[in-house]
Amino acid sequence: MKNLKNYLLIAIIPLAIMSCSDDDIPVANNVILEFNNTFEGTTIVLGDETDTDATVNTSDAGQVHHFSELKYVISNIRLIKEDGTEIPYNVNDLDNGATIVNQSKTETLEYVLSDIPTANYSQIKFGLGVKSELNTLDQVSFPNFYDAAGENDTEMHWEWGTGYRFTKIEGFYDTDNKELSFHSGSTVEGTVDDESTYTQGVDAYRDITLNLTTAAIVGENAPTIKIEADFDYLLSGNSYTITLVTTSDITNNATPSAHTATEMTKFVDNIGGNGSDDITGMFSITAVEN
Amino acid sequence: MKHIIRTVAILLVFTSCNKDDSEYVSYNNPEVSLDIPINFPELNSSFYTNIPTLYGVELGEKLFNDTKLSADNTISCASCHIQEHAFADHNAIGIGIEGRLGLRNPPPIQNMAFMQVYNWVGNKLQLEAQPLVPIITHEEMDSSILEVIGKIETDKDYITLFNKAFNGEGITADGIYNSIAQYEYSLISANSKYDKVQNGEEETFTEAEALGYAVFQEKCISCHSTELFTDQSFRNIGFPLNPDNEEAGRARVTGEIDDYMSFRVPSLRNIEYTAPYGSFGQFKTLEEVLDYLDTGVLEADNLDPILKDNDNRIPLTDTEKNNLISFLKTLSDEKFVGL
Repeated sequence: MKNLKNYLLIAIIPLAIMSCSDDDIPVANNVILEFNNTFEGTTIVLGDETDTDATVNTSDAGQVHHFSELKYVISNIRLIKEDGTEIPYNVNDLDNGATIVNQSKTETLEYVLSDIPTANYSQIKFGLGVKSELNTLDQVSFPNFYDAAGENDTEMHWEWGTGYRFTKIEGFYDTDNKELSFHSGSTVEGTVDDESTYTQGVDAYRDITLNLTTAAIVGENAPTIKIEADFDYLLSGNSYTITLVTTSDITNNATPSAHTATEMTKFVDNIGGNGSDDITGMFSITAVEN
Repeated sequence: MKHIIRTVAILLVFTSCNKDDSEYVSYNNPEVSLDIPINFPELNSSFYTNIPTLYGVELGEKLFNDTKLSADNTISCASCHIQEHAFADHNAIGIGIEGRLGLRNPPPIQNMAFMQVYNWVGNKLQLEAQPLVPIITHEEMDSSILEVIGKIETDKDYITLFNKAFNGEGITADGIYNSIAQYEYSLISANSKYDKVQNGEEETFTEAEALGYAVFQEKCISCHSTELFTDQSFRNIGFPLNPDNEEAGRARVTGEIDDYMSFRVPSLRNIEYTAPYGSFGQFKTLEEVLDYLDTGVLEADNLDPILKDNDNRIPLTDTEKNNLISFLKTLSDEKFVGL
């Protein structure tokens, strides 16, 4: 009799599971991140020096500027459930957890996170750049990301620092179209806030936290999270109002083509936040489509 | 007791295996005995975790001289780090594949084991972290570590050497970095006339050299100190500025405005062989360098205080310059540069 009971149970369990999976939600689904790179809400059109189609922006300091190239690295992505649980997405695997957003390649404006556990999510965190422990141009460990970053039309290797470029912006400013060239990347050895490991350098990685406008409901559907990156912040951000200058006097405002880490930090704080009271930088959520 | 017998039996099996089994290789790779000069500064701590070995150094030297490290197989490390020039370059700035121009003057590779900071701006603190930089830099070798491994992984000599150097681990990226560093650690120059005079060997300074040494001690030694003739600090000494807007000196690494256009004080050892001088080879001769320092350097907010306090110059008479150059030539190590 006991045996019969057991057989029955065994027979029932698969039935139960099957009935569940028929009309119930899956255990995981995709989440699509969609990046919209703008100047104050207007999607950026790239253009060369004299290209009239290029989106022109005016900074708080009154300087017109436009971009011919616009790329940045997103990595260390984490989704936070409504109950506060953090779901890291391949945060230690650049091949499967990092991407290069390149305004000239439409397909890079969308990044699909796969196998996100079914739940309601209220917040997203990600890094602008690569956290220092992974920022070593380690081709052996992450050949795909290394290659994608190093492609001739991407140029996101920062060779002398043997790290990745986190941001690469080329463009023109002022009415006479002087060259604007901004590259960011880390030079840090050790961890900046840890005296026992820190030896030198600047950490250009910025951790971004964004509250979702409405919950992203992962399950039956694969929600799309629309993220705006407003590059008006580059020169007119929360941290600095930057006036671009061409002199080599680096103490006053910024020379966009002088590649010192001092200069770099101003731009990085503007677009990526200062890491303390500004944790959004230029990023915001415009919509969540469930 | 049973256990002991079993263990003994197993051991016997293994021992007998060793005798006839050619697959099992025991790698005998002794450490290289380096003559560490007693008065030199302390070793970089990385040295102790990558101590030069017989085959490590041999492998490193082979890689150092191998053009396969460059994308088009045209240049090796030795193309810009030439032994006759104390492993520095004779060009003002480094020239990579397809004639691509670099940013700076390739520095000599000597006494690296005793340095705490590498390159003109100290962007690397461990020698093992350096070889990847020229391999991947567009203006240098423009290759990648997997591309390099792909080119050498079927080469029997390399396979054998990597196994001997790194206990049978085969060809790896770390093996490349570590062996090149080991080779460079082994490049110690401490056999100049200056050293022989200091060590009380037979030689003595000529009158000009002795007078030059006095000038050196009066006007140069605050920066070019220690037996390496550098205090390994970063200073802006107002040399003509590199027109390449990539240049920012040490500030590119630290983000400190005070480090703008500051460069590591270069060693003066073998200086006779390392022309041209300056971070981008601004000066063709030692005379030009001394004339410039005597005439006056560029003003800068962060100009080194020693220059600031002396009207931005190091005053030198013609006689002092000549004597100083005589002294500097006593730092030449002919054996080191293969003369």
